[in-house]
Formats: sequence, structure tokens, C-alpha cells
Amino acid sequence: MSLRLASACVRFASILVPGDRRREWVEEWRGELAALEAERAEGGVGLPSAIGFSLGAIPHGFWMRTEGWTVDGVLQDLKYSARILRRAPGFTAVAVLTLALGIGANASIFSLVNGLVLRDPAGVVEPDQLVQIARSYEEAPRWDNFSWPAMESIALEERVFSGVAGFQDFTFVVGRGSETERISGELVTGNYFEVLGIQPHVGRLLHPADDLEPAAHSVVILSHSLWTTRYGSDPGIVGQTLAIGATPYRILGVAPPGFAGIQSVGTSPRLWVPAMQLAALSGRSPFDSWGSSWINVFGRLQEGVSFASAEAAMPIVSTRLRESNPVNDGMVVVLESGVGLDPEGRREARQISVILLLIVGLVLLITCSNVANLLLTRAAGRRTEVAVRAALGARRMRLIRQMVTESSLLAALATVLAIPLVYGAGRFLPALFPYAVSVSLEADVRVYGFLILTGIVAGFLFGIAPAWAISRRDLTGALREGSSTSGRGKTRLRDALVISQLGLSLGLVAGTALLGRSVRNATTAEPGFQPGGLVAGVISLEPTGRYNEAEGRALYRQLIQDAQRAPGVRAATIANQLPIAGGHSRGSVRRFGAPEDQRFEAEYVVIGPNYFETMGIPLVRGRALGGFDDEPESVVVINEALAALFWPGDEAVGQELEAQGVTWRVVGVVENVQMRSLRSPAQPAVYYPFAHVYGSQMALHLAGSAGVAPPLSLVRSLVAEADPELPVSQVYNLQNAMTASMGETRTIGFLVGAFAALALTLAVVGLYGLVSYGASQRVREIGIRIALGARHRSLVRLILGRAMLIASGGLALGVVISFGLGRVLESLLFGVAPSSLGTIAAAAAILMVAAGIAAWLPARRASRVDAAVSLRDA
Amino acid sequence: MARSLGITSLQILGAVRDGISYGLDIVARTRLPSGTVYPTLGRLKKSGLVKARWEDQRVAEREGRPRRRYYELTAEGEEALATGAARVTIIAADLQPNATGT
Repeated sequence: MSLRLASACVRFASILVPGDRRREWVEEWRGELAALEAERAEGGVGLPSAIGFSLGAIPHGFWMRTEGWTVDGVLQDLKYSARILRRAPGFTAVAVLTLALGIGANASIFSLVNGLVLRDPAGVVEPDQLVQIARSYEEAPRWDNFSWPAMESIALEERVFSGVAGFQDFTFVVGRGSETERISGELVTGNYFEVLGIQPHVGRLLHPADDLEPAAHSVVILSHSLWTTRYGSDPGIVGQTLAIGATPYRILGVAPPGFAGIQSVGTSPRLWVPAMQLAALSGRSPFDSWGSSWINVFGRLQEGVSFASAEAAMPIVSTRLRESNPVNDGMVVVLESGVGLDPEGRREARQISVILLLIVGLVLLITCSNVANLLLTRAAGRRTEVAVRAALGARRMRLIRQMVTESSLLAALATVLAIPLVYGAGRFLPALFPYAVSVSLEADVRVYGFLILTGIVAGFLFGIAPAWAISRRDLTGALREGSSTSGRGKTRLRDALVISQLGLSLGLVAGTALLGRSVRNATTAEPGFQPGGLVAGVISLEPTGRYNEAEGRALYRQLIQDAQRAPGVRAATIANQLPIAGGHSRGSVRRFGAPEDQRFEAEYVVIGPNYFETMGIPLVRGRALGGFDDEPESVVVINEALAALFWPGDEAVGQELEAQGVTWRVVGVVENVQMRSLRSPAQPAVYYPFAHVYGSQMALHLAGSAGVAPPLSLVRSLVAEADPELPVSQVYNLQNAMTASMGETRTIGFLVGAFAALALTLAVVGLYGLVSYGASQRVREIGIRIALGARHRSLVRLILGRAMLIASGGLALGVVISFGLGRVLESLLFGVAPSSLGTIAAAAAILMVAAGIAAWLPARRASRVDAAVSLRDA
Repeated sequence: MARSLGITSLQILGAVRDGISYGLDIVARTRLPSGTVYPTLGRLKKSGLVKARWEDQRVAEREGRPRRRYYELTAEGEEALATGAARVTIIAADLQPNATGT
């Protein structure tokens, strides 16, 4: 196997070796490879080193080629190339700009991949030793966080982990009164910074001693950016206080610049507070509860413990967890190496990266073939010059070298020009990306390395065609003929280039259309509720520190009453989560009487009165839940998915289920709602009455009359009326939120659309150039035809016919590419098939119209030639 | 001698002197990448420090494999290696932390 790969490598490298020494060179390498294979058969050499060895043939071949080159010769070539390019500023500008776009687009997308997937978080020591730890279940694999006792139990495995730490995102309400500001941060265990190996920029970071008792450690660490923006980099910051909610927190220190937690996506944390403070911040104290899973866990492996052996030790940990508490039945502890993105995030990021890299790769191919085309046109015009140089004694190899130098110079100029593009993209891309990107995307060595590599590959791609064309040309013939005519066969290469350009751009146009239709479908989708006219705002009572449960209930009741009286509002309610807009939570439920291990995690929705009416969720059977005072018993409404799961074929209304240690009677069944996203199917759900389940963080929902959404400010003004100091964190228009949930599709659709427009323009210009050139080469023929009485129309048809043949070739290629790209984009599509014939046909029509115009203009011009003039001049 | 040889060239010359005559074995001995070893051998051959010979065609045919090219040191190569080695020794001594520099 390896031998075949190795000989392929040698065969490829042999192209580089000068002809007179090639046979000898190939023979030597063949001998070496045979010896290598013999050693491999004895088990002496591993496959990687064998491949590494045979790759050496490429630099060897390159050395053979350049061996005789002198610095003077190369310099002379460079000077000559620079002069040539300066003499054709229009051509140079177009070629360099086109290439810079192609190269810059590739490097920019790479910088995104680099920042999200490849780069390690700033400031973390030996990130290779870090592992993410999560719980999964044998029967339903997933990636999920832990309860506090479970984390502590995992940390006991000291032979595997030198440290286990946890964190959870938290939005802190900072400051008082009108200066209240919401700052995203993290609740972290006391050893968080130690496990990561982060060193303080100012003061000190958290220690384990800062996280021992619930609500007993009012201390905070600032991020470097918060320290600079809010405190003007005050060096005396340590010891000052920051008001979080109603409590002053003592500032211990500042994290190093660039450190923004260990997650690549999501909002960058700007402050860190000990996890035990959750008790003070939210009133919840889940530190003894096995049932409440809320903390993300990661660990650092002991010195010398490999990832595989750590994984092998996890069954012991899983068993211990299962034995500790029945809640953990069926739980398995899973690991993922490194930090940054969890496995699901990685899969998604990888998928989007592949799509984007593929698309910019296509764009680079198009730009290269475009520049190759330009060079070929010029090469045709320079045949006399080349022939003269050949006649004066320049060897063919020397001429090719000259062409290659010219291409390299163009590529180098384009690469330099691409640098500001990449730099700008580092700032611009995060805004375009569907997620909040918390890592810096600024270009680093790796991005610039990629940029240079792309430049070299591009230079090679577009430089090889003209060099090849020159080397094959009958030079003396060219000198004799002058430059007025050219055989048809010579333009075959250019035809092929234009066909490939048209094909690639058709693929991109079709891709844009598929993504565009998906976004449009999303705006009219029916996720099980009526998003039109709905607005909602999230209210958190806890940070104010002023509401107990009774006061909270009274406030929400007041809010709903006020809202229902507000103009333009059809109905109002509260709920603990918003469909699709995020914040979904799950709770464990069990059919009453079923064994303990038959628990199921269903969507957990706490609702106020009139919820289903407000949301437009149809009731299928039974009744809806009543108001604050109308539900003395523990009753719930479930959706059809849960009814089918627990009581298949049976009437669910009247049945009982058990959750949170309470037995609930089902009084109604509603239609399924897609809570998570438009692309994920509806999950089984339980709707609990707010009358029985209190939550201090609820979202006020308003449905506008006649499907018209009330203004978002109405939510804020209603809340401000009830309590002027109560913060409303997020306000949503649910219809917009749903469209926004298709953000990836839209972002990529936007990018593909922009690239498709660029590609189509380049391809059409290429076709125009090709037809004009073809016509100009046939001026004499056309003149004769006109003189012989040919009509304009038949002449136009003559020239157009060939152009349409080329366009049809592009069309055929493009259909194949469209199908392929459709498959790649499949995961981003919504409500449209990846191989949608209608879409591809529409894209093909656009391409043919554009191609038709591009070909018709020069054809018409050529047919209007004055026969006498053309015959005299030619 | 035109130019003093670099460490890579000296390593390769040393290997050839020790009777390691095939490129593959030189790569194994010196742990240099093959993309360095072969061009360096070519350069050494051009400056006359090593000779390249082909192994006997009949031997290769008997063993059913392509013939191999092997390298030998020339007299100039011996001399260059000795000079180079002496120079490296002096540099190495200079680099010792307790060197007085006198």
C-alpha cells in the first residue's frame, strides 16, 4: 500500500527534475523505495516514517530543478516580470485584485476555523491535559452537565485527575438604580483558575478556600476587558467593591488579557464569582442535591495519564455515581479531550467550517481559472515577443521560468493585498457568525501561514496553464505568422477554463437559492404555536433581593392583569421558557406506578393562566390549566408526544404522573410544540401550573390583537410600571426570534450569495472575453462572409453557437456541482430538498441568461464589421 | 577548499565514511529528513566530496529488485571531513560554559 503512495509521490516529483537527468533520478528513488519496502516487511519502519521518507522526493526534485539557477538569473527574471506587469497596469490590477479576493476569503474563513476549533484558550497551561467531563446515558447518549455532588464524586478519582473544576454561565446584575447593568460572567469552583493554570494580571485569582460555604464568599474576579473598560485599568482595583444585586462584592484580582473562559462560543464571561454564591444570587442552593444538574465540569489529567487510560477509568466513576443515588441510574461518565467546544459544538463547528472552506475553495478555483484565462489571453498576444526571445537563443525552460516568475509575482502581490482583508475579517466575521464568538479571531502565525500557502497554491494553479501553453507552442511558426490569426485548437484550454467557471458559479447560485428558500420557509413555519404577534420579556426577581414567593406571585398576577388591559393586547401570560428563543429546561418525570428506572426527561414548562390561548397552542383533549386561584389540586397538561410515550393507545387525560416527588393528574393534552429549534422535532413536554410551581425568573408573554405584535417597549413599560427597578433582561419578538434561529442558514446563505455573485460576474466576464477574443481572431473570415452576402443574423448565430456550446458545458458541470453542494448544505436546509430540481433549474436559467447576454454583445459587434475595413486591416 | 561545510554535510559525510552508503540508511543514521539528505548528497557529489556508483545490475536482478545507487567518500571528501570535524570540535569546546575564551 505504502509503496504505491510512495511511487506516486516520486512520479509526481519527477516532473520537477530536468529531462536529461530524470531517468537516473527516478531509478535511484525506485531503488531506495524497494529497499524501504523490504525494511517495512521486516517491521523495521512504521508507515508514517515511510511516507515521510518518500515525501523527501519532492524537495529533492525541486532542488534538481533549481540547482543551476543563479541569484542573478532569478533577479533578472523578477525585474523583467515587474517591467512587464507595470506596462500592463489594467491587467495587473484586475488579476491581483481578483486573486486577493480569492486568497483573502480563504484565509479569513480559515481564521474563523482557527479561532473556534484549532486554537487553545488564551492563558491556559498545557491545554492538552484538559478533558471535558459529562454525563450520558446508555440508552440515550447525550452530553450534559452534572449535579454538585456528582462533580465532587468525580473529583475523588485522583489517580486520573489532578484537578476537577466546574463553571456555569450566569448573568450578573451589577450596580444600583439607574446605573444597573447586566454583565455576563461565570460561577466557578474555587479551583477553576488553578486547574487551568491561569495566572492573575493584578491581585490574585480564586482559591479553593473562596468557595466553601453557600452564600459566604462575596468576592469577584474581573476580566481584563471589564477592568480596562469599566475601571480604566485602575492598578489599585484590589479591595474595591462591586455591587452585584444588593450585595457588595470585594474585587480580588484581574484575569490575564485574552482569557475569556474555556468556551469558544457563547457570550464572553467578564467576571467570575465563586460557585457557592449561587445560593446568594438565585436563592437556590443545590449543593447537596443529586437531582439538580447545573454545572459544567472539566478536569486536568494527572501527569503521565493518557486520554485513553482516563477513559478506561470512567466505568469505576460511573458505578460509584450510580451507587450514590438512584437519580444516577443508567448514567455513564464520558470524556472529551481538550476544551473550547463540547462534542456537539465541535460537530457543528466542523460542519460549518467544512461548508465554508468548501465554498471559499470554490471561489479560489474560480478566481484562479479567471486569472489563468487572462494570462492565456495575454500569452496569445505575446507570442511574437516570446518567439523573438526564443529566436535570440532563450531556451524553452528559460521561457517557462519567466512565465512562472510572472505568475509568482502576481500571486505574491495578491497575497500581500489579502493581508488587510484577513485583518478586517477578524473584526467583521464574528458579527456575521450566528453564535456569539467569545474567542478572538485575530490572525495569528497559523493564519498567515495558511495565507502564504494559499497564495503559493493559487500561483501554481493559475500559472501552470499559460506556462504549459507556451512550452507547447510552435515558436517559429508564431514568428512567421505574426499575431493576427490563431488556430481553433489553441483556445481549447480557455474554453475548459470558462466552462469550469460557469459550472462552479452555477453551483454557488443554486446553493444560494437553496439557503434563501430555507430562510424564507423558516419565516412561515408552523412550530406548533402561533409566533405571529407574540412578544415576550424575561423578568428576574432574585437579583433585586426584594421579593419572597408571595410577593413574587402578587407581582406576576399584577403584571398579567395590567398587560391584558393594555391597548393592542389580545392575551397575556407568563411562562418559565420561551419556545425556540432559548432557555429550554427539562425535568425528570415518571408514569405513576412505573418502576424508578423508567424516568424520562421531558420539557419542563411552568405556565400562567391563558398560556395555550396566548401562544395559540391547540388543546386536543381535556381542558387547559386555570388561573392563580383555580387549581387547588396538582394537575398538569402534557403534549401528544408524552401521551403517546407514557400511555400509547390509551386516554391520557385522568392518568397520573410523578415529578419532583409530587403526583400530578393529567387534565389535558395539547399539540406538540418545537421548543428547541425549527430543525429539531418536538419533544415530550409537561406544562405545570404556576399556581403550584413557583419560579422567580419568568417571561411575560403578550399576544397582540389581530396577529399584530405589540411594541417591544410595551413589555418594558409594563414592568417599569409595576416596579421601576426591576430589570427586564431579554425582550423578544417570537416571530423574529424564530427567523433568527435560522441564523446559520442565513449567514452562510449571505456568504454563499456574495460569493455566487462574484463567481458569476467573473465567469460571465470570462465568457465575454472568450467570445470577443474568438470573434476578433475571425475578423477576416467574417469580413469574407459579409462580402459574400452573409446576413447579420446568421453571423451572430455563428458566433453565438459556439458560446452557447460552452455555456451548455458549464451548465452540465454546474448541475453536478449543484447536487453535490446541496448534499453538503443539507443540514442547514429547512423545508427544501437538497436536490430540489426547481431551484437548480432556476439557477440554471439565471446562468443561461447571463451567459447569453455576455456572448450576444460581442457577437453583435462582430457581425457589424465593415467588410472592406476588416479585409484591409487583417 | 571553497567553503566550510555545514553540520548537515558533515553528518552525511561522516555516515558515508562509516560505510553507510545508501541514502535510505543515511536518513536512518543521521535522522535528517530525506528531503535534506538527497539534495545534500547531490551537492557533495557536485563538489567532488563523494562519488555515486550504481550497484551491479546482475546482483539486483538476481534478488528481483531495482538496482540501487550508493555513495563513497573521495580523497577530497576525507580531507574536508577531517577539517570540518576539527572545526566543529573547536566550536563545541568554545560553547562549553566553563570555556575561558583564551
